[in-house]
Amino acid sequence: MTLLNSIPPGLILILGAIVLLLLPATARKAGAIGLAALGFFAISQLETGERLSPSFLGFDLTLLRVDATSKAFGYIFTLCAVAAFIFSWHEKRRAENTAALVYIGSALGVVFAGDMITWYVCWELMAIASTFLILARKTEKSLKAAQRYILVHLAGGLILLTGILLTVHNHKTGSIAFNEFPKDEIGSWFILIGILINAAAVPFSSWLPDAYPESTIMGGVILSAYTTKTAVYTLIRGFPGWEILVPIGCVMTLYGIIYALLENDMRRILSYSIINQVGFMVCGVGIGTNLAIAGVVAHAFCHIIYKALLWMSAGAVLFRTGKSKCTELGGLYKTMPITMILGTIGALAISSVPFTSGFVSKTIIVATAEQNNYLWAWLVLEIASAGVFLHAGIKFPYFVFFNVDRGLRPKEAPKPMLIGMGLLAFLCIYLGCHPAPLYDILPLLHRPLLPEANLESLGTTFSAIYVDHFSNVVTMFQLLAFSALAFFVFLPWLKRTPTISIDFDWFYRKGAKLFYAAMDRSLNGLNKAADKYVIKTFLPALTRFALVAPATLTAMALKPVWRAMDPDEAGLAKRRDELVAKFTTGTFPIAYSAACVLIILSLLVLIGRTAD
Amino acid sequence: MSETPEKPFVPDQPTVSRKFWIALWLTCGVSVLIEFLVHRHEHFEKSDSALASATNGFGFYVALGFLACSAAILLAKGLGVFLKTRENYYDDTP
Repeated sequence: MTLLNSIPPGLILILGAIVLLLLPATARKAGAIGLAALGFFAISQLETGERLSPSFLGFDLTLLRVDATSKAFGYIFTLCAVAAFIFSWHEKRRAENTAALVYIGSALGVVFAGDMITWYVCWELMAIASTFLILARKTEKSLKAAQRYILVHLAGGLILLTGILLTVHNHKTGSIAFNEFPKDEIGSWFILIGILINAAAVPFSSWLPDAYPESTIMGGVILSAYTTKTAVYTLIRGFPGWEILVPIGCVMTLYGIIYALLENDMRRILSYSIINQVGFMVCGVGIGTNLAIAGVVAHAFCHIIYKALLWMSAGAVLFRTGKSKCTELGGLYKTMPITMILGTIGALAISSVPFTSGFVSKTIIVATAEQNNYLWAWLVLEIASAGVFLHAGIKFPYFVFFNVDRGLRPKEAPKPMLIGMGLLAFLCIYLGCHPAPLYDILPLLHRPLLPEANLESLGTTFSAIYVDHFSNVVTMFQLLAFSALAFFVFLPWLKRTPTISIDFDWFYRKGAKLFYAAMDRSLNGLNKAADKYVIKTFLPALTRFALVAPATLTAMALKPVWRAMDPDEAGLAKRRDELVAKFTTGTFPIAYSAACVLIILSLLVLIGRTAD
Repeated sequence: MSETPEKPFVPDQPTVSRKFWIALWLTCGVSVLIEFLVHRHEHFEKSDSALASATNGFGFYVALGFLACSAAILLAKGLGVFLKTRENYYDDTP
């Protein structure tokens, strides 16, 4: 197994993706599942430490940095990929599996990168590969959404690159190691913004609900897991304990809820729900104690599972009905009961209902906010926990599977889809009841800062979590029951409308127009003024002057000579006019020119003599 | 397929069935009653702010769940007036 120990797991997926392109459909689909499973196995064989350091442009890269954090993310990235490829067995298009594998492979590349160059290259590869998952839908809407998506990510990538270059330049050793960034360097802040764009932090959030719902059925499932969670991973690496992340995370949780409540398209609801959940993780990174970081990793792990499950159930509905709007869906529990049950398990898990995975992961982040005396942040996270149940826990399954029967009678989702969903639904409940396997892989010693609470204080076994800490179960039960009550009390107010909502992109779209108009007015105004006063007025005047002035001066100089030769005024005027005509047309007899040259030469000689 | 005449247990109509309401209220009632039986863990023991002590009051999570969700719904409804736009908004707006 030494071979697997020295191969970056991402490379297995990326190279495999290229080989799969050549295979027939069934082998290709099976191959994708096999590659994801092989990736999982390869990660399990990796020994802790830094390896594979080829030299590139004078820098020593680190293609493989293995520790508890990178392994935990690696496990869930490959596990989710296995379920997603099983789910997408219906997918026949060659490009989609390849794009998905390259995307997942490059996400693994980021996770195991120990230097900033490898990180950046994989980061950009992710952006490019993921765009194909949106383009593959092959609709006019998805084409435009993909264009907007790649533009945002290229801009984000450039900001990140600026930060990396500044940081490397400022490092006295020129080190490119990807570790915690210093707060007092401008480069760190550029990097932070670059990452926050990928994390869909407010106000850089609108790209996510704009692009993901336009992707293919498989694309939505895959996209929901990697870009934002890779961003969370890089935040853990580079910015643990940066307090600015606490308010940023809190705003994300609330923003996600409000927008999810406004939305009509089920996949747009789930998109905003991603931002809400990533908000919890960003907040946890900001708190930054080792327990908080462990909580973030645990939550990212569980989140990827239940979020992919929710996207799968939405995907199954879209696959069978061709519809994704709440105003067109409803009553599907009658003919898609298994999809409904599995989707609802995902909805309960995201809501942190006891006995599901969300309960054993989100609780850690909320508890660390309390332990570290972030009173307001704690309150916001509790409010957001209630809000999650509202928009993702009830609204999504209610409007899709219940609500009004619109006469839709689709068949149950195909078997591979049910198997993919079943696998993740099982994990949601299994980890909720028996979180030990998850807790065992958490990076509890990632950052030995505070000797405060450890996981034991929250309970790590079923009996500790649900019996010894029964009061936590009760309070969560109350929070959820009364959130549900509020939902049904205000149900008439939640009636869906066929609309979407204006998001923060309004500022840069309108801002860009305003900027353009301002530049148009100012720069083009300057251009016009320059044209009017310089080109059309000053330059002709200068030309006229250049033509007339020598003639006038010569005439003035010759006037005494002319007067001596011919005292008649009419004769004087005639000579003068002739001279001016010769100057303006440039037609002097050769003798005049020769005389002038002679005079100038004599003058030069004279000046030269005087100077000596 | 003909429509089922009576309301099923699970909410199937824009107006939720009576049985569902009873079940929901019962669940809420039970959740409040259990709080009498358990000793809740103290939040923010070191803090002396009124908000911190309010978090330990009886029924704090009941109030938080209901009020937070009601506020979120009302806020979304209010903001919807300004933010909601037609679905093809992006098709002809660059």
